[in-house]
Amino acid sequence: MTSGPPATPGASAPATSTPGAPPGDAAAPDASTPDASGATVPARSAARPRRLRRWLSSAWFLIPALVLFALFVLLPIAIAGYAAFFRWGGFGPPSEFVGLDNFTRMAGDPIFRGDLWRGLVLVLLSLVLQLPLAVGTAVLLNGRMRGRAVYRMVFFAPYVLSEVVTGVLFGMIFLPGGGLADHLVEDLPLLGGLAGRWFSDPSTAMPTLFLVMTWKYFGFHMMLYLAGLQSIPGEVLEAASIDGAGAWRRFRHIVLPLLGPTLRISVFLSVIGSIQLFDLVWVITAGGPSHSTETMSITMFQYGFKRYQVGYASAISVAMFAISLVFSLLYQRYVLHRDLRGAVTAPGAPR
Amino acid sequence: MGIASPSRRSFLSAASAGALVAATGPLLGACGNDGGSGAGGKVTLEFWNIATTEPQKTQYPKVVQAFQAANPNVTVRMTALENEAYKAKMTAQTTSGKLPDIFVSWGGGVLKQQVEAGLVEDLTRRAADLSATLNPLSMEAYRFDGRLYGIPYDMGMVGFWYNKRLFAKAGVKQPPATWSAFLDAVRRLKAAGITPIALAGKEKWPGHYYWSYLAMRIGGGAVFEQAETSRDFSAPVFVDAGRRLKELADLQPFQQGYQGAGYPTPGGQAALMGTGRAAMELMGQWAPSVQEDAGGDLGADLGFFPFPTVEGGKGTLTEVFGGGNGHALRKGAPKEAMDFLRFFLNAENERMFVSSGAFMPVVKGAESAITDPNRKQVAQAMTGATGFQLFLDQAFAPAVGQQVNDSVAELIAGRATPEQVTRSITQAARTQ
Amino acid sequence: MSTAAQSTPAPAPSAPSRRPRRWTGSLARHLTVWVIGAFIVVPLGYAVLSGFKSTGDLSRDPFGLPSPWRGSNYTGILTSDTFWRQIANSAGIAIATTALTVGVSAMAAFAFARYAFRGREMFFTLFAMGLMFPFAVAVLPLFVLLRAFGLLDNPLGVVLPQAAFGLPMTIIILRGFFRTIPAELEEAATMDGCGRFGFFWRILLPMARPALGTVAVLATVTSWNNFFLPLLVLSQPRWQTIPVGVQQFQGQYATDYALVLAYIVLAMVPALAFYAVAERQLISGLTAGATKG
Repeated sequence: MTSGPPATPGASAPATSTPGAPPGDAAAPDASTPDASGATVPARSAARPRRLRRWLSSAWFLIPALVLFALFVLLPIAIAGYAAFFRWGGFGPPSEFVGLDNFTRMAGDPIFRGDLWRGLVLVLLSLVLQLPLAVGTAVLLNGRMRGRAVYRMVFFAPYVLSEVVTGVLFGMIFLPGGGLADHLVEDLPLLGGLAGRWFSDPSTAMPTLFLVMTWKYFGFHMMLYLAGLQSIPGEVLEAASIDGAGAWRRFRHIVLPLLGPTLRISVFLSVIGSIQLFDLVWVITAGGPSHSTETMSITMFQYGFKRYQVGYASAISVAMFAISLVFSLLYQRYVLHRDLRGAVTAPGAPR
Repeated sequence: MGIASPSRRSFLSAASAGALVAATGPLLGACGNDGGSGAGGKVTLEFWNIATTEPQKTQYPKVVQAFQAANPNVTVRMTALENEAYKAKMTAQTTSGKLPDIFVSWGGGVLKQQVEAGLVEDLTRRAADLSATLNPLSMEAYRFDGRLYGIPYDMGMVGFWYNKRLFAKAGVKQPPATWSAFLDAVRRLKAAGITPIALAGKEKWPGHYYWSYLAMRIGGGAVFEQAETSRDFSAPVFVDAGRRLKELADLQPFQQGYQGAGYPTPGGQAALMGTGRAAMELMGQWAPSVQEDAGGDLGADLGFFPFPTVEGGKGTLTEVFGGGNGHALRKGAPKEAMDFLRFFLNAENERMFVSSGAFMPVVKGAESAITDPNRKQVAQAMTGATGFQLFLDQAFAPAVGQQVNDSVAELIAGRATPEQVTRSITQAARTQ
Repeated sequence: MSTAAQSTPAPAPSAPSRRPRRWTGSLARHLTVWVIGAFIVVPLGYAVLSGFKSTGDLSRDPFGLPSPWRGSNYTGILTSDTFWRQIANSAGIAIATTALTVGVSAMAAFAFARYAFRGREMFFTLFAMGLMFPFAVAVLPLFVLLRAFGLLDNPLGVVLPQAAFGLPMTIIILRGFFRTIPAELEEAATMDGCGRFGFFWRILLPMARPALGTVAVLATVTSWNNFFLPLLVLSQPRWQTIPVGVQQFQGQYATDYALVLAYIVLAMVPALAFYAVAERQLISGLTAGATKG
């Protein structure tokens, strides 16, 4: 314990003095580091075992994580990626190679296309309704207000509940005929027509699901904005209000631009979240009625666990993974770009 | 899985609050190997079932304990899962190639797939003595190419359960025997302000009964066998069945919000029947007990009539659509597993299961234990049946069966045409 | 953000000169917050109150206070072994998952944050990509894999994959934190004869206690709420966790929904209690994880 890692203790001391790889260079731009250590070693042939040893002296810390990650995350992904090219009922090893058939079938599958469309609708709904609500509440709670700590705690509470509990609870609340929701609206003039529909009618199921999602997740986004708001110095706002800027103008011209990075992150998480949405929908509607609340993961699960078309289900998994990946790469490249650069140029700034 | 969508088989009888699965706790204590005949004669049997509802929930541990008392070297480890969870888990188990020693199976395409994967024990010879005592019809779902792969313990059929009082109130004198008389009855009920039919639209499988029965009544009892082997569901009989069902759906005979209704849940199909808020439901032999549990006992008001014939169709009233429950053994299961199945169906247990309303009899002659007139009627229809079709979502390979459920649900909801239904089922059958 | 909450006074919401408007403004704000609060609280309150009713009372009068108050739903569950066994299983699995996730991630984050080595960015990107892979998608191949490893019906079969899926977020948060620790500290430690591991173990980890607390709380909550993996892996009732138990209970007692509501209320209690205790860590963890990811 006291003498250090099993790798040669001598290796760590020179490493700290090598100009290419000081331990504290972490704040340097990431792109320059990979070849930095390699470039400083001139004698290639003799350096090979030494380099491995030196590599190990830093990297052995990584090994447990790598093993765990490779076995339980990468290997399943690889299995799914392999199985996607087979017609496979899940019995024994896959043997009937079908090339891209599963993917072409997916492209023509109205349910899968519908999943994409519904995912988009969920994202748009979150952007138009949930995010403004979260920003608004955050601004309200950021102000001086009696009991705001309590409110904050209450609004966030649904986020810590499990999806299963939330799903079962709202399944009961929206039960056709006997649930709380029906009793709440049945005597109201405009909403009365909703009684008995909610999750029962393809046209209202999606909005109802969105309502539940808002209940569960808006507090999380609100917390993100609160964190963002609290990093805005009070003096800036005070200065603005002394200059005579009204509440709305202060919000529009100072708060909102400064919240930019938080907004972009929040949007990002909404999108990824709706691509991966599973437990909640599975417990409440399992995708119904008439596929009106089905998501990609539900479709995947239906094929994999109910229809024994594991090959096709794997192809859907691969598609989900690819969509998430491409989206996050593009988003990071084009939208989060400046936020990330800002972080690098101002090292150590708590974000 | 959905919220509370345990499907029909878990509701062969009433579900009611009682002791938790913990009742089986003491049985689980034994060390857990994968079974197999142990060296010292000690055998542990994994027994997976769906007995999470009463009365089976208390009956099963009793049966197991009695079996263990008679066979001291055997330990039976029970795992009772709620129906949908059981199906999901069995899919995963099948994929992994390792099934429990004894497991519940409904036969048909699902079992066939497991058989083809070499995971299921052939019982043709080992169970010859037992199968001779059973009603041959009940074993049909478990037989492939003349080999028997499962032992049924419950058997029944689907038909209309109706509320005699509500029918009388609407002026429907007697249960309709033809499709047009049936539609007429629906119209009368609706005119009288009564919800004609309760339907659990959320669970899809109750909807597929209508389409299946219509196809059988139009094309005769063997239509599905032909379609399955040719992988072609585009024949006019299936389109016609869809059109007839659409005729019914266009009358809007189902309760409001039926698409979100479960079967046994509060406000669901069985509850509406049990509380007298709907006039009829198309359901299997278990319907009365679930009604009683979810809503109330209709008592003498409850009646049963077979699915009506369609004018000009080839089918007859005596061709039945239905199914039941059975057990299968994993390939290489210890011989004690077969002993357990034999014990499970011995005269004493069969009497207990049948008289408590848990199951319909599979052992020849056990019908006499039935006292309820409706259940008796079902049993008689079974013995007099001239043709039998297993539930399509069990008979077909899972991909096709699920597609039938899905497509018919869309048809009833008005989101697919009869032609689209046959097309997507055919497509599922071809890609299978 | 926790420090900010304490120290930074909030900006004044409106100009101090306009007193009457301020009063109405404040009222409007409170009203808005109350409406949102009601939206959050009513479903929860409904569940709690309904648990004190019988199902018959509940369908007759879903709003009113229970009359009479029946504790039998709650006491019945609280006196059953099953409920407590599920709580204990969930807790055990959560603790093991957390220890493993945090331990392994801390080491990896340490390497990522403080050393340059060949392939560092590649490995880091690899872990970061893990954030994109939803658990549900991997469930089927994961199941086959666990079977091959003989980890079914074994809590490890849940703990190991959960820890693996928890790595990306934990590593990202911890790496961010470890980077803020000045390099001079390690140089000083090296001069005192501390090896890398010694520095990591005896200096860095104690310093990182707040960050470790944060990620530990995150891992615990995630594990506690996980549903599908335990459902598939742990078939025996003796290993079942609370979310699986809720689903199962609901299937079994579908018709007695006051009892089901009581069950989910009791299932919520540990999560909410944990949240009340560890609110600060949880929130700072989530916001940090989000903004640093």
